[in-house]
Amino acid sequence: MIEIKKVGKHYGHFQVLSDCTTAVAQGEVVVVCGPSGSGKSTLIKCVNGLEPFQSGDIVVDGTSLAAPGIDLPRLRARVGMVFQHFELFPHMSIMENLSIAQRKVLGRSADEARERGLKLLDRVGLRTQAEKYPGQLSGGQQQRVAIARALAMDPICMLFDEPTSALDPEMINEVLDVMVELARDGMTMMCVTHEMGFARRVAHRVIFMDQGRIVEDAAKEDFFGTPRSERAQLFLSKILRH
Amino acid sequence: MYEFDWSSIPGALPLLGKGLLVTLEVTLTAIVVGIVWGTLLAVARLGANPLLAGLAAGYVNLFRSVPLVMVILWFYLIVPQLLKAVFGEGIADIRLTSALVAFALFEAAYYSEIIRAGIQSVPRGQVAAGLALGFTPAQTMRLIVLPQAFRNMVPLLLTQAIILFQDTSLVYVIGLSDFFGTAYKVGDRDGRLVELLLFAGAVYFAICFAASQVVRRLQSRGVQ
Ligand SMILES: Nc1ncnc2c1ncn2[C@@H]1O[C@H](COP(=O)(O)OP(=O)(O)O)[C@@H](O)[C@H]1O
Ligand SMILES: [Mg+2]
Repeated sequence: MIEIKKVGKHYGHFQVLSDCTTAVAQGEVVVVCGPSGSGKSTLIKCVNGLEPFQSGDIVVDGTSLAAPGIDLPRLRARVGMVFQHFELFPHMSIMENLSIAQRKVLGRSADEARERGLKLLDRVGLRTQAEKYPGQLSGGQQQRVAIARALAMDPICMLFDEPTSALDPEMINEVLDVMVELARDGMTMMCVTHEMGFARRVAHRVIFMDQGRIVEDAAKEDFFGTPRSERAQLFLSKILRH
Repeated sequence: MYEFDWSSIPGALPLLGKGLLVTLEVTLTAIVVGIVWGTLLAVARLGANPLLAGLAAGYVNLFRSVPLVMVILWFYLIVPQLLKAVFGEGIADIRLTSALVAFALFEAAYYSEIIRAGIQSVPRGQVAAGLALGFTPAQTMRLIVLPQAFRNMVPLLLTQAIILFQDTSLVYVIGLSDFFGTAYKVGDRDGRLVELLLFAGAVYFAICFAASQVVRRLQSRGVQ
């Protein structure tokens, strides 16, 4: 579904990503972790072309991002993304947040978009909030809406960039529960997160990044059993202590 | 002691009213055209095309670096020539047209700076979220960024409109009878310049004070 091949990216002389290679198969859940500044966000944003890269290639469902003349809006409409700070549109109601891209990008009718939106709000347990504005919702609720907004586009895969790290601790689980359910329904997912409980429950593979490189790319059991690299061991011991 | 004599004002009210309409016409035209043209300039300046960005920056810097009164005079001298070139014949009274054009183009430069700051005040994550949903950059600007930018900018845009309303009095240099110009002419005609100018000042003050109260309300509401 997602193939990342020898991707390199730099800002001036600063190498953000070096020779990153991995793949996410259909229905697979891959967790990406690593210290702050290691390039996790950058890598995941390369997958839907929000960040350009200078070398290598990324192929999403057969579409190469490095190909000249690639239709980025078309590709992005098929790849859902959830951000650390939710990024709901504050000037629109929850229902408008869910329906605007369905109408303007997918060309669905207002009724169709509304129906799909309500169904997804149901799924994340927020049907009653449809007419409210993002500012009236808690962080956890906003993030669940953001997931519903991405799902409303019927994406072929979902990208998550630290979806729970801006949340108060008591709200983390309501978001993780939605993500776990999504994973169990067979969604292809690439999740940057430090929630190792989530990784243990649903991930198939764990990728560990450090200084722009993929240092470890292992099946979940292997990663939590015996991470090969010293950096990953150190990292795990640090975050698991919290 | 100077003896005030206000008696020439009531009779001049219809004339003054007409002058006020001219003032409002210039103000409103400059606001509407200025905001539309200013938005295009701001978007061009922040856009990916370096040529358009450079042209927009040049335009804004040019108009912000020359006195408004000079721009008004230039357009009074240039617009008739342009119209003659385009339509063959000049328009009978060029003063209003040239003032409208001068103010609209001049204000666009100032509005574009306000709007540019407004666009930059919208968090980058909002752009990323718009693009990630499959919107084109233009759709993201129109549907996501500009509505939020304008909501943040309303007080500044209104403040600029108040300044503009006062600045329209500069059209006296081309002899256009706006509110101020009419008051001056009536006062001159009746030998009651002091009274007419005091009266005109009071009207400007009342309108601007009322408008600035509206701005303050909006600002305090924005804080909440
Ligand atoms: N626009 C930019 N210009 C220069 N450096 C950047 C820019 N964006 C990110 N970086 C750098 O790239 C590195 C990786 O960032 P990021 O992908 O956000 O890391 P992570 O998500 O793992 O914390 C960081 O060191 C960051 O400072
Ligand atoms: Mg990050």
